[in-house]
Amino acid sequence: MTVREALNTAIEEEMLRDESVFVMGEEVARYNGAYKVTKGLLDKFGDKRVVDTPITEMGFAGLAVGAALAGLRPICEFMTFNFAMQAIDQIVNSGGKTYYMSGGNVPCPVVFRGPNGAASGVAAQHSQDYCAWYGSIPGLKVVSPWSAEDCKGLLKAAIRDPNPVVFLENEMLYGVSFPMSQEALSDNFLLPIGKAKVEREGTDVTIVAHSKMVTHSLEAAEALAKEDIKAEVINLRSIRPLDIDTILKSVKKTNRLIIVEGGFPAFGVGSEICAQIVEGEGFDYLDAPVERVTGADVPTPYAANLEALSFPDTPLIVKVAKRALYRTN
Amino acid sequence: MFRHLGRRAASCTARKRTYSEFKHGNLPHSHSPITTDLEFFNSVRPDGQQIPTYRVLDSVGQPIDGSTVPEIDESFARKLYETMMLLPTLDTLLYSVQRQGKISFYHGEEATVVGSAAALSPTDEVLGQYREMGVLLWRGFDLDSIMSQCLGNKEDKATKGRQMPVHFGSPQHHFHTISSPLATQIPQAAGVGYALKRDPERRGKDCAVCYFGEGAASEGDFHAGMLLASTIPSPTLFIVRNNGFAISTPSSEQYYGDGIAARGPGYGIDTIRVDGNDILAVLGAVREARRRCVQQGRAVLVESMTYRVGHHSTSDDSFAYRARQEVEDRKKVDNPVSRLRLFLESRKWWSDDEETELKARLKSEILTAFKRAENLSRWELKELFSDVYGGDEPWNLREQREELGELLKKYGTVWEPWKKEREKFSGSGDEFLS
Repeated sequence: MTVREALNTAIEEEMLRDESVFVMGEEVARYNGAYKVTKGLLDKFGDKRVVDTPITEMGFAGLAVGAALAGLRPICEFMTFNFAMQAIDQIVNSGGKTYYMSGGNVPCPVVFRGPNGAASGVAAQHSQDYCAWYGSIPGLKVVSPWSAEDCKGLLKAAIRDPNPVVFLENEMLYGVSFPMSQEALSDNFLLPIGKAKVEREGTDVTIVAHSKMVTHSLEAAEALAKEDIKAEVINLRSIRPLDIDTILKSVKKTNRLIIVEGGFPAFGVGSEICAQIVEGEGFDYLDAPVERVTGADVPTPYAANLEALSFPDTPLIVKVAKRALYRTN
Repeated sequence: MFRHLGRRAASCTARKRTYSEFKHGNLPHSHSPITTDLEFFNSVRPDGQQIPTYRVLDSVGQPIDGSTVPEIDESFARKLYETMMLLPTLDTLLYSVQRQGKISFYHGEEATVVGSAAALSPTDEVLGQYREMGVLLWRGFDLDSIMSQCLGNKEDKATKGRQMPVHFGSPQHHFHTISSPLATQIPQAAGVGYALKRDPERRGKDCAVCYFGEGAASEGDFHAGMLLASTIPSPTLFIVRNNGFAISTPSSEQYYGDGIAARGPGYGIDTIRVDGNDILAVLGAVREARRRCVQQGRAVLVESMTYRVGHHSTSDDSFAYRARQEVEDRKKVDNPVSRLRLFLESRKWWSDDEETELKARLKSEILTAFKRAENLSRWELKELFSDVYGGDEPWNLREQREELGELLKKYGTVWEPWKKEREKFSGSGDEFLS
């Protein structure tokens, strides 16, 4: 099943299950969504529950927040999270804080979803990763899934969650197929938000990644295995709450940690994980410096050769993993 | 300026023509007639004509010629007046005791807030800015609750002491929690309206009501919210208080067009401008606006022209940007409270004695409520960490609570400043010590 189909199935199943769930955003209905994630939903559920909106992120994100405060469960699609900056006040200040500010009186069960991070050839203003932005806000839950199974289980959980969830997909993964377990095909398949998954066990170095970087990290682990290095790959799945326990457990075993992400290095997910590990008992288990493998600290360039240089790839992860093992410079 | 009332409808077009005059037909798929006249139109008109203002009472509280006095009986009218009187009295007290606090105050906007509140159904969902305490008072949110919220004590059920003063909220009173960033409530109101339309129990019965000032209407959220409420039609009633100033910025610097009302037609929204210092005009206009809104399931815009006699907030000294004399003059002319009082007196619904009695009673009730609230302790300390998330609590909150517990165990009973501080919380923070 492709990631796109998994997301589509998750939305459909939850809309069948709960009348208060509806999906809205630019071109989600008649056009089936800019990336076809909402394909066929208009035909199945009608225009009352699959709502095309005008092109105003602050407007429709605000409508989604209002509808959630009034008891509905909106799924608000952004054509890309790069455009959601125009709506970030609604997501952060209203979505993320109202439950607390209202003394626990008013929940805001909304899902903001859409592609996040770099795609291909779309330059600086379409290529940013927002994990760190939303991940810093108490009151928001932030998910960055990788596989089809992740997408299905986590999106369903996000829709049922009583809190606002920022669901950060990756455009490059939409068409990628993953095997689905029998369990994952069930319409009651949920994955817990806030729990990472060890995708590959190993004893020599821990590689933590999320979203598309999980693909590269697994490839890197495969390459490392050929040199008899057993890398453990952790698919983060959730950015907030962050499953630091799973990472710590792995570090205790491997004594080495690298974190791979498609975002900028500064104040990023990798920085946060590194800080949490070295601040606590993890520090005593480290046999090498923690390293972050991230996007370059420049606005993403358009030219294909420069763009390729701007983001981590498999060989780079291999190299940094070996550096953690003092096998290379 | 009111002689044009009734004769000219609010219109952005400079010339009036019927379709039959246009011999060239219409633009395809449209009702736009083809014209050969190279003509521009604008809400700012060469003849200076502006959108008319709906009014019922003159400046001495008498119905003006040809006006329609909205249906009200004596007890309703008296409740209007008492609620109006309550607002400035409450303000004066909060202002003087909280000079450093962020308590907004409301002189000059009593009629708009109370008059519109009285025109609504008690179950209409209200999304306010932060000058709409009158709506809550009208709906029976009591003085104790007001004071508790402003002081953030343990009876502040609206926010548990987490919100700034006057940032009320009460699901029971269908009043949404106030959001500080300006205008965010406007698109949210479109969402609340959408939810009401989706609810078979409330469709055709309730509407979402959104208050904001003319300054907030400069925010992108205003335009987005109006657009959303009109394109995804929902029963959403927008009430803009145009008090002439966004903090210190006069409305002449806030917009060049004909106020906020001129923008309604741009979004295909039924719009009316009303004299915001005339409570009966506000009542009548909002009643009709609400009727349209609920019946048609579409947005309606009411622009209420007021004058903020007070400062923007306690952190503002408005005499720095406007003349003291101007404010004094406006207090006397068209004073919304005295206009209603004169109206009530002319109907023999009010007397000097009652006025004296009311003033004394309000003052004493407010003082009693304030003193009571002042002596109440805060919420329990553990509430610092609750309600960040619904459902299961993430580890980071648990960890912070435990960390505070460790610190309290270490210093909370031996270090004087913390011992003292603990006493201010309900339960003295004991929940951390056991």
